[in-house]
Amino acid sequence: MALCLAVTLVHVLLVFLYVAPPNAISKAYSHQVNAWVRPVFEQNWRLFAPNPQSVNRQISARVKQTAPDGTAQVSGWIDLTAADDSAVKHNVFPSHTAQNMLRQAWNSYLKTHGSNNKPRSERALMIEKYLRNIAAERVAAQHGGAFDSIQLRVISRPIAAPGAAAESRPAAATPRAETRYLPWWKVASHAAN
Amino acid sequence: MQRTEQEPVVAPKVSERATERAAVGVPQRVLGQVHAFLVLLTERPVSLYAAAVLRIGYGLLYLVFLLREFPHRDEMWGPGSPWTPTLARQLFDQSGWASILTLSDSRVYFEICYAVALVTCALFLLGWRTRAMSVLFAVVVVSFHARALFMADGGDNLMVLMAVYLVFTACGRRWSLDARRARLQAPAGETSDLRGGDLRHHLGDARIVLTTVLHNCGMFVIAAQVCFLYGCAGLYKVQGPKWGDGTALHYVLNIDLFRPWPELSQLVAGQHLLIAVVGYLTVLVQVAFPFVLFGRIKYPVLILLLGMHVNIAVLMGLPLFSGAMIVADAAFLPDRFYRSLGRLWRRTFQRTGGVGAKAPVGTAPAAVPPQPSAE
Repeated sequence: MALCLAVTLVHVLLVFLYVAPPNAISKAYSHQVNAWVRPVFEQNWRLFAPNPQSVNRQISARVKQTAPDGTAQVSGWIDLTAADDSAVKHNVFPSHTAQNMLRQAWNSYLKTHGSNNKPRSERALMIEKYLRNIAAERVAAQHGGAFDSIQLRVISRPIAAPGAAAESRPAAATPRAETRYLPWWKVASHAAN
Repeated sequence: MQRTEQEPVVAPKVSERATERAAVGVPQRVLGQVHAFLVLLTERPVSLYAAAVLRIGYGLLYLVFLLREFPHRDEMWGPGSPWTPTLARQLFDQSGWASILTLSDSRVYFEICYAVALVTCALFLLGWRTRAMSVLFAVVVVSFHARALFMADGGDNLMVLMAVYLVFTACGRRWSLDARRARLQAPAGETSDLRGGDLRHHLGDARIVLTTVLHNCGMFVIAAQVCFLYGCAGLYKVQGPKWGDGTALHYVLNIDLFRPWPELSQLVAGQHLLIAVVGYLTVLVQVAFPFVLFGRIKYPVLILLLGMHVNIAVLMGLPLFSGAMIVADAAFLPDRFYRSLGRLWRRTFQRTGGVGAKAPVGTAPAAVPPQPSAE
């Protein structure tokens, strides 16, 4: 009984230290806190905090097929985000595959790669593979031809501030939209289907 | 968590002690309170109805989740996922997560796991052999969560935590098939009769104390967890300038992926005053949550949170997330509320002459149409 009580209190204390902002205690005991909390009790409740996301990201992909004679054929950009958006639109219960899959993969890529596209850790490499697989599978489902490499383009469009947004069309090209191109990635040859 | 509900029970003891206090002094009084606390901890399982609501709620939500993603099951958790089994196993080695789903890459094995998961959720929700099912349910939820770690949102995260915590609670004592069986087997008393030899009797007693302590500790952890959730969500928002100037919800309403009804979101986002008021109220309620639980003011706060989550469910297309939060909030309602809900339910369905089913999730009794009498 005393054991139950002790475990309960220790658990609550450690979870508190885990979710609280870094402080002297949680820094000193970070090893113990993480060892206890991770992985099963991992949590993050910064829901839309400290600030909600203020950009909409449009992720597109294009693919390349190199012929045996060395000439490369590059496809047009295929909008992957638009497919997710339309899957969410007028849906009472959108799927995680539309709302979370590509979005979270990209967020993880940002976290592990930063602003350059060099994977600096094993985790970064894994996320890169994940993002590549998502894109390749979606493109293969939409696009007819075979391809051997793929490139992603991410356009970040800031959401206009409240006052200004009222009149202008929100989806229209906002001046400060940023475009980021990722390097071409080789994919396990996707045959024409 | 339902400390407030238990107070009347304990109160006579405490006041007895209080009268003694004059004679025996402060140390005795403290001892008395410790004793009262220990009696509560070891003899009175708190909030059994709330535990049942958590069981039914999360069992149902996970079942609905699995069924909702049926067309996407391979993409999310199966061998054909872009997060390949190899990547998943690599991550498990690094992070300590584990999943039954990556034990084999065979499609058949995956389909069997998926079917077992569906059955587990259903049986857990019905409360059949609840303790064993709760362990299985936790294994299922952790396995599916770990397999699709990069697809999870706050709702999934909460469901994992609750699934694990529920293993320790006696969540099958009310509104369950187990409770029904116990009632049919022992019509005389509420507790099952474990008399046998003296040793068996003692073991039985020890078991009852142990399950009670585990249950009470589990419910306390669940309550603390929900408080951390809201406290954290609120306090991190306080640090953000956009929550500070009341425009945060404008941005939330303009995220394409969380805007299933763009016209509606736009309409709401246009109401600047409303956006600011609701934004402030959100932060205030979340920060206040842990502090209002010990008084009557928790009821209006819970109603506000319910409203907030219903809005999130509809406006942002996040019914699962909202559902998980609503069930967590429902854990703070007193057993007296659930008992009266149960009575109300029995009265209505006795009048309509319905079948002998058990009450569904207690949160929305009015939303359940009296189907048998509809014709």
